[in-house]
Amino acid sequence: MNPFSLENKTILVTGASSGIGAKTAEVVANLGATVILTARNEERLLDVLKKLPKGEHQIIQADLTDDEAINEIVKQVPNIDGIVHSSGIVKHYPVKFISKKQIKEIYEINYEAPVVLTSSLLKSKKVNKGASIVFMSSIACNFPNKGGALYSGTKAAINSFSKTLALEHAPQKIRSNVILAAMVKTPLFDEAEKTVSKELMNKHGKQYPLGFGEPEDVANTIAFLLSLASKWITGTEIVMDGGLSAGM
Amino acid sequence: MNNIGEFISTLETEFDELAPGTLKPETKFNDLDEWSSMYSLIIIALIDTEYEVTISGEDLMSISKVEELYEMVKLRMKQ
Ligand SMILES: NC(=O)c1ccc[n+]([C@@H]2O[C@H](COP(=O)([O-])OP(=O)(O)OC[C@H]3O[C@@H](n4cnc5c(N)ncnc54)[C@H](OP(=O)(O)O)[C@@H]3O)[C@@H](O)[C@H]2O)c1
Repeated sequence: MNPFSLENKTILVTGASSGIGAKTAEVVANLGATVILTARNEERLLDVLKKLPKGEHQIIQADLTDDEAINEIVKQVPNIDGIVHSSGIVKHYPVKFISKKQIKEIYEINYEAPVVLTSSLLKSKKVNKGASIVFMSSIACNFPNKGGALYSGTKAAINSFSKTLALEHAPQKIRSNVILAAMVKTPLFDEAEKTVSKELMNKHGKQYPLGFGEPEDVANTIAFLLSLASKWITGTEIVMDGGLSAGM
Repeated sequence: MNNIGEFISTLETEFDELAPGTLKPETKFNDLDEWSSMYSLIIIALIDTEYEVTISGEDLMSISKVEELYEMVKLRMKQ
């Protein structure tokens, strides 16, 4: 069997209505997987679903900051062979504007949601042996930017969570890895561009030897991490930054 | 936020490097020696936390003077 194939695998993708999550749903379905897509916006989920090749794919509309919604997902999904955590938000707050309100806003969706969803799925034995879990993290955890204290923190916390998960579930051959991405051209990128201005973003882009990333670049790596081809890779961080951190 | 004077003093207290009285309604942000991308972030966060109004970096780029920012915030507070 082709080790890169995803046939006979069921993959849950969060943040599947947009950007990296949406592209990942498409890429893994084309490699043979059955995909369960989740996010809040049903209309956009349906648009993504339409692009997938025929199969048993399904969508589950859910706000992952709501515990009940997470319970619903756990109830509804069949046994799965992979989880891709791509839901998340970016918000910038200079340190002196941080209070519990801002912490809650960002940690709820970027940290608590993927952690609780993963643990609930494992607890209810919905995760098959040999499954692979992928978290979308960011190089910002190693190279924070001004205003990014909270966002970088959520991603650093996810990295540690993923490593712990890898250790605890190695006996079942369940693997867990994170992707540390630099700027990828998604709606989130457009949002960031609006905050810091196009000018600054273009300047930032010049520092990438290979330019900014495309959603497909990340989705292909996620597909590899979900496949048997990566069966010896766990508890690690894969940097995808177009050469940004390679050096000057 | 009752008037532009109050708005300016709120801005000035957040910009530690600015001597009080530096900002005038007609001051252009770009003319400030200390102006930086950090200032945009502070202005966005300040206006969000103080007045519960969202402005983007693009909004900031579209204006140049302190009074224009004041008008923008006032207008959005009404909506
Ligand atoms: N783009 C980049 O440059 C970049 C770089 C590094 C890391 N990342 C990470 O990669 C991941 C995906 O980013 P992206 O660029 O693809 O962003 P995106 O296009 O903005 O997509 C974010 C996704 O998260 C979902 N989401 C947000 N809040 C949610 C909630 N409360 N409940 C359920 N779903 C929610 C959104 O769906 P709904 O709005 O429909 O709910 C959307 O599908 C994020 O974790 C991000 O931090 C991105």
